[in-house]
Amino acid sequence: MHSFTKNFAKGIIRSNPTFILLLGLCPTLAVSTSLDNAVGMTAAFTFVLIASNFIIALLRNMIPDRVRIPVFIVIIATLVTIVDLMLQGFVPALSKSLGMYIPLIVVNCIILGRAEAFASKNGISDSIADALGIGAGFGLAILLISFIRELLGTGELALFGHHLFSIPGFSDNPVAIFMLPMGAFFVIGTLLALFRWMGVSKGE
Amino acid sequence: MSNLIAIFFGMALVNNMVLAKFLGLCPFFGVSKKLSSAVSMGIAVLLVMLVASAVTWPLYHYLLIPYGAAFMRTVIFILVIASLVQIIEMTIKRTNLTLYNALGIYLPLITTNCAVLGITFINIDQAYSFIESLVAALGAGAGFTLVLIIMSGIRERLELADSPKAFRGTPIAFITAMLLGLSFLAFKGMI
Amino acid sequence: MTKKKNEFFPVIFLTLIVLISVVALVLTNGITKDKIATVKRDAVSEMLATLFPKMDDYTYDEASELYTPLKNGEPLGHAFMAYPKGYGGTIDILIGLEPDASLRGIRIIAQQETPGLGSKIVDQSFLGQFKGLAPTDVRLSRDGGKVDAITGATISSSAVINGVREAILSKLNAINNGGTN
Repeated sequence: MHSFTKNFAKGIIRSNPTFILLLGLCPTLAVSTSLDNAVGMTAAFTFVLIASNFIIALLRNMIPDRVRIPVFIVIIATLVTIVDLMLQGFVPALSKSLGMYIPLIVVNCIILGRAEAFASKNGISDSIADALGIGAGFGLAILLISFIRELLGTGELALFGHHLFSIPGFSDNPVAIFMLPMGAFFVIGTLLALFRWMGVSKGE
Repeated sequence: MSNLIAIFFGMALVNNMVLAKFLGLCPFFGVSKKLSSAVSMGIAVLLVMLVASAVTWPLYHYLLIPYGAAFMRTVIFILVIASLVQIIEMTIKRTNLTLYNALGIYLPLITTNCAVLGITFINIDQAYSFIESLVAALGAGAGFTLVLIIMSGIRERLELADSPKAFRGTPIAFITAMLLGLSFLAFKGMI
Repeated sequence: MTKKKNEFFPVIFLTLIVLISVVALVLTNGITKDKIATVKRDAVSEMLATLFPKMDDYTYDEASELYTPLKNGEPLGHAFMAYPKGYGGTIDILIGLEPDASLRGIRIIAQQETPGLGSKIVDQSFLGQFKGLAPTDVRLSRDGGKVDAITGATISSSAVINGVREAILSKLNAINNGGTN
């Protein structure tokens, strides 16, 4: 059990995929324009990661080394397609706003990276813990960025149709640039610098 | 013809893969430190994008759609890309060893480059014809390479500049990307 | 003997994995296919209802791709889709005509334009301009028409305007050449 919590905690801070490992940035920046998107993307991503880590850890002793990358890719691509189809059918609004970034989860370096670096070499429960931790780390990062971008970019926050919060006087003239790609770059650059200044990141 | 030109410049500048569509970020930040590696990566990506588009388009329109298997596109496309990268890597290794050494580990990394898979999806979503898809891939690759080169030029000089300690390295690279993106916004009026 | 088996095993294993995933995907597709089609139809009928609030039913003619909203069996007008290429992708537009073929209004069903700029084509301030226009008036004001583009989103605006005009002109031919009800 101790190794479970250890692997889980590692994914959140010390090996945070977004801020420390700098992986999987494409969906993080693209999708972080609203809290709804962030939550949806995290759910989809974490599901694929957990399932992928589980399956690969389960089969790790059977997968021949020479074809391991194609095998990983097929497994991940299948899982992603399943998630994509399920979303289109049952949560169409989310599917529309996340768009092609759902199928792009298949080339998200995080998932392939974890399969290669961890799940192919560790037990099932450790791999699941790792997936949960990395998923949580990813989720925290994307939620943080979305929070900032949505708040500053539109002046208000909303979650699944429930209006949460508006900055009085600000929501009429928000800083729209945060909703554009360059706003995303700015937010993550500043956050990275902030974290480094706080001493949380590992050396470059 | 003007349509093709619009697609090319649209993909390269206005809807730049990296700055507007957030695709290809991993190599963008990982490889853009040196000019020479940036150029190599850019060309390699351009090549793969072109060939991948050329192969996936007919596969989708003549195989997947007629058999009602459009949902297989993610799996099929990524397998095509992975195989292509393998083949290209082996071909380069056998024909031009210097090029192979120059590209190094960047070649296999192209498989996970979201920009490559992304352009194959865009070709379908935008209902491009075969020629239009090739032009779009060319434009996307060119735009990607362009941004990579600019970025590496800036970063090489940034190394020598006196940035605040917390910002050094990656954070300042992101801020640079933002400024680059801002300047590319100017292209919106072009088409 | 074992050496031969080891040589083929990787390929066999990979093929097996591929087969399993194909099965899984075909199954998933089977489950979701109808749901996805329904979702697409619902989106359209929802939008149809916003154009024709009195509607209680509608019919769809596959040949002419024409929707006919009905109330108590009586047609309220006609509606059809247009799919012009916008700035960020295809724009799905639902166009509604009054029984006398004048423009009732348009609704944007799907778009991928730039958020905050081109995406404003969904705002009433832009869409409301189309109501009651004759096809020839469906042009940018600067081109002699009666529709103002959205500031900073000329391409998205033009795409909608031109797409609507061309769709109306081609559909009016279809309606006039033999009614569909």
